[in-house]
Amino acid sequence: MRMIASFYKHDEVRFVSHLDMQRLFQRAFRRANLPLEYSKGFNPHPLLSFATALSVGYTSDGEYFDVQLSEDMMPDEFASRVNDVLPKGIRIVDAVDAGDFKTSLTPLMRSAAYEVEMNFNRGISLDELNSILATLMSGEINVMKRTKGGIKPVDIRPMLIGIENCGVDGSKAHMLVHGKLTAEGGLPLELLLGTICERLGVTADYRVNRKNIEMDWTVIG
Amino acid sequence: MDSDRLNSLIARTEKPTRFMGGELNMRMKPDAEFKFALCFPDTYEIGMSHLGSRIIYNVLNNREDTFCERAYAPWVDMEALLRENSEKLFSLETKRPLDEFDIIGFSLLYEMCYTNILTMLELSGIPFLSKDRGEDAPLIVAGGPCVCNSEPIADIMDVLFFGDGEELNNDFMDVYASCRHRGLNKHDMLVELSKIEGIYIPSFYEPTYGNDSFASLRKLEPAAPDRIKRRIVHDLDLAEFTGDLVVPYMSIVHDRIALELFRGCTRGCRFCQAGFIYRPVRERRMKTLLDFADKQIKCTGYDEISLFSLSSGDYSEIHEMVPTILDRYKDDRVSVSLPSLRIDSFIKDDLKKIQSVRKTGLTLAPEAGTQRLRDVINKGVNEDDLLRAVGDAFRSGWHGVKLYFMIGLPTETDEDILGIAELARKVSREFYSMPKEMRGKGLRCTVSASTFVPKSFTPFQWEPQISTDEVLRRQALLRSALKGIRGVEFNCHFSETSRLEACFARGDRRLVSVLIGAYKRGARFDSWDEQFKKEAWDEAFMENGLSCEQYANRTIGIDEPLAWQHMDSLISMEYLKREYERSKQGIVTRDCRSGCNGCFGEHCKEYCNMHSSGSEETE
Repeated sequence: MRMIASFYKHDEVRFVSHLDMQRLFQRAFRRANLPLEYSKGFNPHPLLSFATALSVGYTSDGEYFDVQLSEDMMPDEFASRVNDVLPKGIRIVDAVDAGDFKTSLTPLMRSAAYEVEMNFNRGISLDELNSILATLMSGEINVMKRTKGGIKPVDIRPMLIGIENCGVDGSKAHMLVHGKLTAEGGLPLELLLGTICERLGVTADYRVNRKNIEMDWTVIG
Repeated sequence: MDSDRLNSLIARTEKPTRFMGGELNMRMKPDAEFKFALCFPDTYEIGMSHLGSRIIYNVLNNREDTFCERAYAPWVDMEALLRENSEKLFSLETKRPLDEFDIIGFSLLYEMCYTNILTMLELSGIPFLSKDRGEDAPLIVAGGPCVCNSEPIADIMDVLFFGDGEELNNDFMDVYASCRHRGLNKHDMLVELSKIEGIYIPSFYEPTYGNDSFASLRKLEPAAPDRIKRRIVHDLDLAEFTGDLVVPYMSIVHDRIALELFRGCTRGCRFCQAGFIYRPVRERRMKTLLDFADKQIKCTGYDEISLFSLSSGDYSEIHEMVPTILDRYKDDRVSVSLPSLRIDSFIKDDLKKIQSVRKTGLTLAPEAGTQRLRDVINKGVNEDDLLRAVGDAFRSGWHGVKLYFMIGLPTETDEDILGIAELARKVSREFYSMPKEMRGKGLRCTVSASTFVPKSFTPFQWEPQISTDEVLRRQALLRSALKGIRGVEFNCHFSETSRLEACFARGDRRLVSVLIGAYKRGARFDSWDEQFKKEAWDEAFMENGLSCEQYANRTIGIDEPLAWQHMDSLISMEYLKREYERSKQGIVTRDCRSGCNGCFGEHCKEYCNMHSSGSEETE
């Protein structure tokens, strides 16, 4: 059977890279003694795939993966057995039986929401921030992006859906950024935040939490 | 350190998981009385791969009174961040600055990590030299194979641990705890500690020099022993092991369960320090190992077990062990790897079985290119063994093989160097002469040649290392001889670091100022070629009126005093001299499984019960 699960990634575990997350779950499944289905070939590995990667350093309230099991299992039992052996900071929030649905989770992704906390090197005002954001929303946002053909200017405005819930407290600001996230790619959040800082004339440390990934589940029914 | 601040530093490093801690099975014991920082002077991914440190972590944390935390040498990016932000180096478990620990213990695996010790001390605000540290400073201790000749760092360490650490660390902590409870000052505590077998207090001894070399060591503290006897664990089945293994988030160098089959080696290769300083051979019973395997697979989720030792094919139950493990965990797809396989171990069937789960690399170490030189070093394998082993492997589906050699072995001539290429050619021929359907696609045979480093407590301890120019010449000779051999590629080790290693391996206490001088000029991570700063070392030698060559490239007279002679490795000096003599004559000494060669001599013969009936003849 195929199990689809969502999980959160909080605290220090946010430094664990995507590749290391795969290994982390594979080992957790083995500790939980789950009936795993393995790939064929020289290096058999459990059939586990994530909907998408999360940048190193970001936390998340809802990431998705799916895994093939060789025996049927209740989703709740799956979640609780894995949760018993996961390291601190990572937990399965929900699990469902994928039933007849065979395709990868990646094409189901539509968009994502990011909670951003920025810590500037000087105090700013809410008006200052809002006016910068208004300009950003109303025109092109050209950034230099690393692509296969080298570093090129790209307009990331079409990937940005909106920015809301802005607040400023001295040199700190927070906001909720909605961006597209599909199989073809997503909003390059780092570049957007870089542009905001650049236009404000500040430097900043920031923390990002992916609040959720919007999925189009209707294909499953 | 404030955790937000710390995390913002960690986030800016290339590999944040090196510093974050919080791994599965990490220990937390906030209520323990004594805080011990177990430090590995290299990166996390290397330190976490060291079995010995993992055993010590478990041994110390199994004590009620001790909380052992881990710390690693910060990579250059983190070092810079800590300095810019005036932050101290911290432990992984509680992020406590190292200077707040009672004891800081270093694992010393190779000489080229010494500058990293200084980084770790300096970033903790701790003076380098023991004489400059007050009563309140943490006690700085160290253990591991480098303690054989720890003279170059003797002025840094308060206490050195010589030999197996399982019991020694417990004895040390018992005495340490009692001294603390009695309110003893540091000197009196060191006197108490010096009474433990295997403990070396360097400040209780003072060297003298004559004719530009080491002359003698004078004992300053009457209560200290004349010689420090290496500590051994007699029964490994009763010894503590790693316990629940900490499972790293990042991929580390040895990312698997390691089961130590046995300690020690009976072969007696004359260049190999490990082959002498871990004697006698002590095996773990298969049952003990299978219990460890069960527990570790459950608590880690690893899918690979390495059957680890100095020569795993020599384990007396190996032919039973490999199929048993593979069979037991068949459904869990657990694979087995056998590092350190000797060419002459009969492993054909085991190889086939291992390969049924996962194909791992095959590494063989003929060490030298001709039979003459292999006899000089007592490697005891011949060309037929090698060709049979690779032939078996090729027929079992392997097409990658690594061959390890050394350049600069005593008595080596150009003929021996060319012999390496000849051997590689025969391996290539062995592969390509097989019918296509019997072998893999294309051969990948890697010939690696490291530079011979004479080490203390080996029969070659008196031998010089060849000069840098000569190393480069022989490497070039080998490279050109290997050219055009189908499927064979060559890589060799940078010779400057090998020379420095040779210098420190046979060095004396004068080298500590060179070490500090090089560190101050930026030397870090010297075993990492891209980090190695030759000028820093050259200047530091010059400044101290010493040279690397005087240690590395000198023949030591057979009756000259040795800077490490106060360390009693249990192997007798007479035995090492006899082996040295036999090497010159190209006489092979038998594997001591087939008869005692008397290596321990009279003074320690009871330490080895391999031949308890006690035949003492030497062939």
